[in-house]
Amino acid sequence: MLELVDLSKKFKQMDAVKNLNMFIEKGEIIGLLGPNGAGKSTAISMLSSLIEPTKGDVRFQNKSMIKHPAPLRKVIGVVPQEIALYEDLTAEENMRFFGRIYRLRGTQLKKKIDEVLEQIGLTDRRKDIVKTFSGGMKRRLNIGVAMLHDPEIIIMDEPTVGIDPQSRNYILETVKRLNKEKQMTVLYTSHYMEEVEFLCDRIYIMDKGNLIASGTKDEIKRILSAEKTISIQAERWNDEFIEELKQNPTVNRVTVGEKEITVIIPKEVNMFSAIIRMAENADMELHSVDVQTPTLEDVFLHLTGRALRD
Amino acid sequence: MIGQIVKKQALILLRNPIQILLLVGLPIILIAILSTALGGMMMGGGSPNIHVKVALVEHGDEEEEIQRFLGELEDEGMPREAIKEMETGIEQMAPVSMLKDEVFGSEEAREFVELHEVEATELTEIWDDNSYTAVVEVPENFTYESLEYLVLNHNSQPVLEVSQNDEQQIGPMIVNEILTQFQEQLTLGAFLQKNGIEQGAIQVDEGIFTGEALTLDQENPIGSQEYYAVGMTVMNVLFIASTIGTIAFMEKKIHVFDRIILGNVSRWEYFIGVLLSGTLFSFIHLLIVYGFSWIVYGVKWPNLLSFFTVTASLAIAIGGIAVLLTAISYRFNSEMITNFFSGIVVTLMAVLGGSFFPIGDSSAFIQMLGNLTPNGAGMSSYLMILRGDDIGEISHHVLFLVLFAATSIIIAAISFPKRGRAV
Repeated sequence: MLELVDLSKKFKQMDAVKNLNMFIEKGEIIGLLGPNGAGKSTAISMLSSLIEPTKGDVRFQNKSMIKHPAPLRKVIGVVPQEIALYEDLTAEENMRFFGRIYRLRGTQLKKKIDEVLEQIGLTDRRKDIVKTFSGGMKRRLNIGVAMLHDPEIIIMDEPTVGIDPQSRNYILETVKRLNKEKQMTVLYTSHYMEEVEFLCDRIYIMDKGNLIASGTKDEIKRILSAEKTISIQAERWNDEFIEELKQNPTVNRVTVGEKEITVIIPKEVNMFSAIIRMAENADMELHSVDVQTPTLEDVFLHLTGRALRD
Repeated sequence: MIGQIVKKQALILLRNPIQILLLVGLPIILIAILSTALGGMMMGGGSPNIHVKVALVEHGDEEEEIQRFLGELEDEGMPREAIKEMETGIEQMAPVSMLKDEVFGSEEAREFVELHEVEATELTEIWDDNSYTAVVEVPENFTYESLEYLVLNHNSQPVLEVSQNDEQQIGPMIVNEILTQFQEQLTLGAFLQKNGIEQGAIQVDEGIFTGEALTLDQENPIGSQEYYAVGMTVMNVLFIASTIGTIAFMEKKIHVFDRIILGNVSRWEYFIGVLLSGTLFSFIHLLIVYGFSWIVYGVKWPNLLSFFTVTASLAIAIGGIAVLLTAISYRFNSEMITNFFSGIVVTLMAVLGGSFFPIGDSSAFIQMLGNLTPNGAGMSSYLMILRGDDIGEISHHVLFLVLFAATSIIIAAISFPKRGRAV
């Protein structure tokens, strides 16, 4: 349905995106994962025809959209990371303006506004000025505006940034529902791993402009199938303990966080008792030691050597 | 689609009462302040309200003195027919009547001179009354001696006795000037009489009472309220351009512009939407402020066709600036140019264009620079309309405004980022 072929974008001397290859099939929810600065937003801007790539192609139904993007624009709805709304207008005035931009008018426009406001749960606030809304409500309206013209593909660029957990769940449920009920294809970018795990069928992981992994959730987790993760929590860290962990020949990787140390080891190795002993030797009090099955976060950590939100 | 863009811009503007107040309220307040404070500096208008109260005291009786003079002529053996003929002419030469009726009593002088004929017995009381500007005393035998001087060339010309109120500043000077002119006219009359020139020539020049200063090309004088109504309006309308530019840049900053483009709206439709918003809102702004000036300050336009032509041309020029500011701020992804325009350029243009003081007194170079600003060209056109000039005489300013708009639009179109450049 939609394909990115060797897509690259260079800003002056910086490669924002390098040879990105992606495909999206109808009805899928695709996750595009990566930390800030990974190139996700640039990739989305090229995909949605807002900026021209330096190299490569965007193909929709096997036709290039680089020079003539109108057919693609008709079927996509883009939810930008920013609240792209007029804060001095009411929710309804915003919807009417963007509806008219999408050539909706008369009863069709009115019906669509009513329907979308219902879907995003803002019917009773339709006459209110947007700047009086909470962050979550603005985010919902930001999504609603992109849904007015019934797009086949909706592209969401970190739509849950900076909102409360309740609004976040509401948005995630809305995306799931749209996909299920309307077979809407979704490209969802986030640096919240759990959102992508919850929503997406297939995942692309980007870092520093490169695509570093892709596949279904299970396929990606299988990258770590030969390994397991041990999460250690303690009141304070001791350098001697960390050094001993790193020197241990069976340990593949050690990542030190503020309150947690993550240790990746081969699946067959049992390090539980060894960790307890190291802590005793270093005179360190442990709070917990958990052995976990690999998460996407672990995969990202494994692939890039840093956490998604670094 | 363009209509939707203009409508949305209007809604955003209307939802910002402070912005509206600054755009519309500020010029109205400034017109009131500046026309009052700087009115005295204006040519032709805003001159102080002059009121001159003059007391005229006749110590003699003009009629009796005329008869005495005629009787004397008869005694001297002048033929009866000649005296009869002179009697008719002398009535027109009676100096005190002339002073009362044709000088202080003329239509022009009556606007600022209040003449009171008082008895000599009231003089002490009049001198104590500070409201009088001057007391003019006609001495006994003044008419008789004047006629002797004028007709027979006897004696010297008699003089009026004038007491001035020194506490008043301008009034005594005016009375003095009027009386000096009057006496000079009488002297001239005597000269004409002796040389056999028409008696009718002994008329006081009415031009000395003209209350309004006229310049060479000025049919209607411009008052300070008219001047500052135009000056402040053409200055403030420039802020419409920066306001539209700010709204447009905000649309880029928060990615609303991206949404518009994704709706398959051509960037040129958006461009025209910004241009039309700037033009339309400027036109409305000009009409509101001038409408208010008409109602409150009585600034009336003698030629509405010329007024609307200039207003439309100026509005298009402001629309051009709005779209130019938008294009440049989009190109450099910065609002700095719009802020620089509203913070510094508008003030410079206002000074050069003559919004604060007339540039007519400045050098030719400064005048030319002033007329090369849209507000300056607009101001010159408006002032010419107020003076009574017709549309043909302002056509060069109108042409400049249209060319300015066209140039701004072309530069804006060239600068407006194409797809792939804006991020």
